[in-house]
Amino acid sequence: MTEPAASQHLLEVANLVKEFPVKGGGLFRRTIGAVQAVSDVSFHLDPGETLGLVGESGCGKSTTGRAVLQLHKPTSGSVRYDGQELTTLSAKQLRPIRRDLQIVFQDPYASLNPKMPVNDIVGEPMRVHGTKGSAVLDRVADLLKRVGLNPEHGNRYPHEFSGGQRQRVGIARALALDPKVIILDEPVSALDVSVQAGVVNLLEDLQEQMGLAYIFIAHDLSVVRHISDRVAVMYLGRIVESGTRAEVYEQPSHPYTQALLSSAPIADPDKERARERIVLEGDVPSPIDPPSGCRFRTRCWKAQEICATETPELVDRGTGHPVACHFAEVREVV
Amino acid sequence: MSEEILSVNDLSVVFPTEDGMVEAVRGVSYSLSERDVLAIVGESGSGKSVAAMALMGLLPKYAQITGDVRYRGEDVLAMSPKRSRALRGQNIAMIFQDPMTAMNPVYTVGDQLAEAYRSHHRVERKVALARAVEMLDRVGIPQAKDRARSYPHEFSGGMRQRAMIAMAIINSPDIIIADEPTTALDVTVQAQILETLIEVKDSVNAAVILITHDLGVVAGMAHRVLVMYAGRGVERADVEDIYRRPRMPYTAGLLGSIPALDSAGGKLHPITGAPPSLINLPPGCPFSTRCPLVTDRCLTEEPELAATDLPHHQVACHNWEKVAETPDPTLLFRTKAVDA
Repeated sequence: MTEPAASQHLLEVANLVKEFPVKGGGLFRRTIGAVQAVSDVSFHLDPGETLGLVGESGCGKSTTGRAVLQLHKPTSGSVRYDGQELTTLSAKQLRPIRRDLQIVFQDPYASLNPKMPVNDIVGEPMRVHGTKGSAVLDRVADLLKRVGLNPEHGNRYPHEFSGGQRQRVGIARALALDPKVIILDEPVSALDVSVQAGVVNLLEDLQEQMGLAYIFIAHDLSVVRHISDRVAVMYLGRIVESGTRAEVYEQPSHPYTQALLSSAPIADPDKERARERIVLEGDVPSPIDPPSGCRFRTRCWKAQEICATETPELVDRGTGHPVACHFAEVREVV
Repeated sequence: MSEEILSVNDLSVVFPTEDGMVEAVRGVSYSLSERDVLAIVGESGSGKSVAAMALMGLLPKYAQITGDVRYRGEDVLAMSPKRSRALRGQNIAMIFQDPMTAMNPVYTVGDQLAEAYRSHHRVERKVALARAVEMLDRVGIPQAKDRARSYPHEFSGGMRQRAMIAMAIINSPDIIIADEPTTALDVTVQAQILETLIEVKDSVNAAVILITHDLGVVAGMAHRVLVMYAGRGVERADVEDIYRRPRMPYTAGLLGSIPALDSAGGKLHPITGAPPSLINLPPGCPFSTRCPLVTDRCLTEEPELAATDLPHHQVACHNWEKVAETPDPTLLFRTKAVDA
């Protein structure tokens, strides 16, 4: 691959691969294989936009997010932020860049230290990066207000907050260093719908006010449609289809995207009952031993010989946006 | 109309705790007819699961259960332990959210199904095992005979949930209580499981009580819906009415909170605040703190579930007429959302 002289995009991920070793059960726990959780994933992100990464459990969407942040060291591939390659940097060299790249985790019960009051949780990133004294507390109060929490509650502990409020604390912490990119890893999945909507609105408002770029990782297709500008659909470690929100939802061209969208229920009894549903057979195969060629072929109704022998590239196949399927064809399902 | 098989009247469940009495369920009433699908919808802590567990006698001994629950006229809460055991599993079966913890990890799936059958039928082990295999086959488990010899951990999440459904229908129950049956599953697997649940429900002529927080799943499956909030039934109606003509502000708020799958949509209209603590509930309507239509009466007098302008449609709201006059009730929450 040729390297572009100067990156046009804020974040550019190219041919990202992340493998995890599979250990044997014996005394020495020798490595007996590898799970390729993320295989050859490429995408980019521009300032102020939201890229939705969707897929089912085990498709590699969270691992992709963490590999971008170098929380998991990628096995191969490139992650360029603002023109700078991150994969070759040492932990020390990465630290200043981490100001710009933040993450919000799914579980607001597990990702906040129960022994720290909220003021310390939100202030910690600033202290780590060298802000001292009362400036930290002022900024924390400002951040808490910004995410819709009462700054007077800053000396309370996480268990004194509801799930939605905790997720707001997690967001305030991510905002502490004025980042450019936030990876949102299932940020609303653990919340009740009435609370979830408030957090989604908050994320949209913050994006508008601060020009943030989001990678929004989720399995909830409705939320992803709502919040994303562009969407990438993952299956077993690969992106199978990507495009603008309208392209992916209105002209899905990969059989998996079609099945996924048609499986997601619509909260409207007339529409929901009138829909044609594509029900897939079986389960997702093990990523330790993925199918050859197209990884979806074992569950695909279109599969033919070529699908087993040749891995389909993620390219535009005449449907207007990139699809990794030899037999890509638009089919409206929602 | 088909025959009523279950009626629940004024069911309440209180848990005494160190911090006070937790009123988890407060006077819930509904009825279920043969082959009906009733969805009980609510968010975490609304009491929807506790209400179902009370029917099944699955709550701890210290739970204080009151009310009147009748299965084909028979008083369920007052029956002898022996009769109650016979009823559960045989006439009323339950499907749990997490099949990994609901099944016994040290017995094969086939043995567990056979045991469920033998607790209600005096048959040889072999006969029960054959029945187990038949059920596994019916819920779409391939090579059911071989898979019956597997342990639960050898099954995928979707397969385990199928096995749970097989266990629920092995005694041909009249009522299947499904408590968040697909919440732990991916959407493509959820679609398979819901399809299976509908098929087997029809094949054994059972009614289903579907407990869920997912309004999409409800839209596809339910005939009747009971919306719960803070331990109380706050709206009860046919499924189309719930989505098209909600009369309770809370229901409208829930609908306005869900992003649409089939359109890009504008701003969401969330309900501000959080549900109240179930300990020492304030007087008045439990939703009053979050309600855009709140009036003085709401703060002092808790509304009962009562008739509305629509047939078969009850609501617990003093101001349902105002909701009825609003063309799109989900927009009631719009101004509040901007302040938040």
